[in-house]
Amino acid sequence: MCIRVLGASNRKYAHIGDVIIAVVKEAIPNMPLKKSEVVRAVVVRTCKELKRKNGTSVQFDDNAAVVINQEGNPKGTRVFGPVARELRESDFTKIVSLAPEVL
Amino acid sequence: MHHHQVLAMQQCNRPLQLSQLISCTSYSSQNVQMIHTSLCASRPALNASLRTQQCQVPRISHQRRRVSNSRTGAEMEELEDVDLSQLDEEDLDVLFEEYGEVVLTDGKPRPVASDVDDDAETLTFAIALAEAANEVKGAEIQVLFVKPLIYWARYFVLATAFSKPQVDAIGRRMRDMAEERFDHSPRGDTKPNSWTLLDFGDVVVHIFLPKERAYYNLEEFYGNATRISLPFENRVVQ
Repeated sequence: MCIRVLGASNRKYAHIGDVIIAVVKEAIPNMPLKKSEVVRAVVVRTCKELKRKNGTSVQFDDNAAVVINQEGNPKGTRVFGPVARELRESDFTKIVSLAPEVL
Repeated sequence: MHHHQVLAMQQCNRPLQLSQLISCTSYSSQNVQMIHTSLCASRPALNASLRTQQCQVPRISHQRRRVSNSRTGAEMEELEDVDLSQLDEEDLDVLFEEYGEVVLTDGKPRPVASDVDDDAETLTFAIALAEAANEVKGAEIQVLFVKPLIYWARYFVLATAFSKPQVDAIGRRMRDMAEERFDHSPRGDTKPNSWTLLDFGDVVVHIFLPKERAYYNLEEFYGNATRISLPFENRVVQ
């Protein structure tokens, strides 16, 4: 669950490519991430459509984020599901290079 | 013949031995060509633009027979001597070569050679970056050709460095070389990281520390990419 959007004070919403502080609400057992752990993550998919300069917009069926560490490297080794190509502009090409599909 | 090409038949005044209608199953916006085939020599090739504007639904030859589909039990008309499902790419290519002519292309078609040239330039750049990494004693340098797998890059350069100052040194060397020789400047990590990424657009450079290289294992993820052979010998991580 998102508890803070980084980037500006009192920022209300996070978009694709924003870093958020989140807390783990549910975790499967025997994983490095435990429940109620506070983590940093990058938003990679949103149900709210993302408008592009060429007039197209893309929206996904779910909201998703990739957990990252303090250096900005993804904590896991793989990413599931497609990601938006705006991540490349936000300097998250590492996540893009791990993504199975880039839309 | 590409799957996105539509082969349409024009009805000819002469009776035809063979007629086919093959429709494209997928549509590629970048490279759509409509091809009219004209089996009848008496029909001269028309101007491309005129024809597309007057293009109608192609009429299939009269020679048909009624068959019943054993699988679905449905009765349908099958074209004489033709089983469309049995035609594969080579047959369609042959047909295209024999009868096809381009009627409409969208935009100016780029000559195939320009693609290869672009790739060759990018390849030179990628190999130059790999050599820069080698000069700073980077290990396990690999250049992967990822263009068939992803659309957003053409080559990946992977390298292992043994310490963060070395990562920094490789990064700086690559930046300087790219700026000087190719006039490219990268986006990406400016501070040395355990996984440093330099994004030159077509070429993406990944510099890892040995632990991260094994942890993220990008070679496995891009296992289908062809490895480009490098002009120098690779150092192995011990």
